[in-house]
Amino acid sequence: MTQSTDSLIAQLVDGLEPVRPMRASEGFAVAFAALGLSLAAVVLIADVRPDVISALQQPVFLLSAGLFLLLGLASSAAVVAMARPQVGSEHSGWIWAAAMAALLPVAAVIVALADTSAVLARSAAISGSDCLLAASGLGLLTFAALTWWLRRGAPTSPDRAGLVTGIAAGSFGIFAYSFNCTYSDIVHIGLWHSAAVATCAMIGRLVVPHLIRW
Amino acid sequence: MKADEVSLSRLMTMAQGGDRQAYGTLLTECQRWLRSYFGRRVPPAVLDDLVQETLLALHQKLATWDATRPFLPWLAAIARYRWVDQLRRIYRRQESELPETLTSPDEEEAVAARISLESLFSRLPRRQARAIELVKIEGLSVAEAAELTGQSESLIKVNIHRGVRKLTAMIEKA
Repeated sequence: MTQSTDSLIAQLVDGLEPVRPMRASEGFAVAFAALGLSLAAVVLIADVRPDVISALQQPVFLLSAGLFLLLGLASSAAVVAMARPQVGSEHSGWIWAAAMAALLPVAAVIVALADTSAVLARSAAISGSDCLLAASGLGLLTFAALTWWLRRGAPTSPDRAGLVTGIAAGSFGIFAYSFNCTYSDIVHIGLWHSAAVATCAMIGRLVVPHLIRW
Repeated sequence: MKADEVSLSRLMTMAQGGDRQAYGTLLTECQRWLRSYFGRRVPPAVLDDLVQETLLALHQKLATWDATRPFLPWLAAIARYRWVDQLRRIYRRQESELPETLTSPDEEEAVAARISLESLFSRLPRRQARAIELVKIEGLSVAEAAELTGQSESLIKVNIHRGVRKLTAMIEKA
């Protein structure tokens, strides 16, 4: 820059237009809308699993869906906060939610090692990859919504914001797809559903920073 | 007028509403604050650029300030972001003189200490901070910094790379 700071200030003052401050509530609304659309897409396009009522009484289904929903909410809240810079902000709540959700793959591995035959047979690779792909596709809605929010804002840690955006997208995506997936065993959910979150997190970490740098 | 938190917050609220006079005063005060803020950590040759880049970023991201939160930590986060970004870009400079008059208003010492660049820098491992300080702030070559610290040239480069990456991750931490 070669112009003087005073003339830059004069230009900026001339170009001032009233702005509406970003509200965290708008960010949450955007994230919830994406979650709602993901659920609607499952109902309208993929169909809800026929035994959904009995699934709602199965502990593994309830716990896993609940954990992914919480992880999605915690990550979304972190992303909403990350759009507004502030020294002293930590945005670390999502880490605890991620740690809790990480218990699912750990439990899956333990159970799979203890009972390799029957359980792994049910967790067939093809149906698992279906979950991974469908959840990632559904996660695109959250991915787009939160990326739009971050682009409006001023995230000072684009890499972390990208990672957490991906985690939120994957978590909401797999939470919504849980209502279609007919598997309720810990190995399938712990491995494939967690893999969907991990995949989205990786994509978010790689792609989002390029879209939100300012 | 003195650039205190309350006045700046009030001016910022008015600026968000489109008050140009208040905005002009705010930017002038921010300019002063930024010059003091960057003073110790930025070579004089790039101080103007960095102050201007930060003011421009402030202008573009005006809507991201929340009136319920303090103004200076918001401005500091933007300033740190621009500073780290500049650290990435600058490897050499010609001048190494540092300005002498770099003080914060007394009543804001606690806040200033919390949001200062020093507090960010002090979180780096010593070797990384030293490598960045010598090469990116004082303008030494990698070879000169290696000789001075006893680290190999490649280690100096690695420490700079890791240090800047770490700074990026810590921008909002006090």
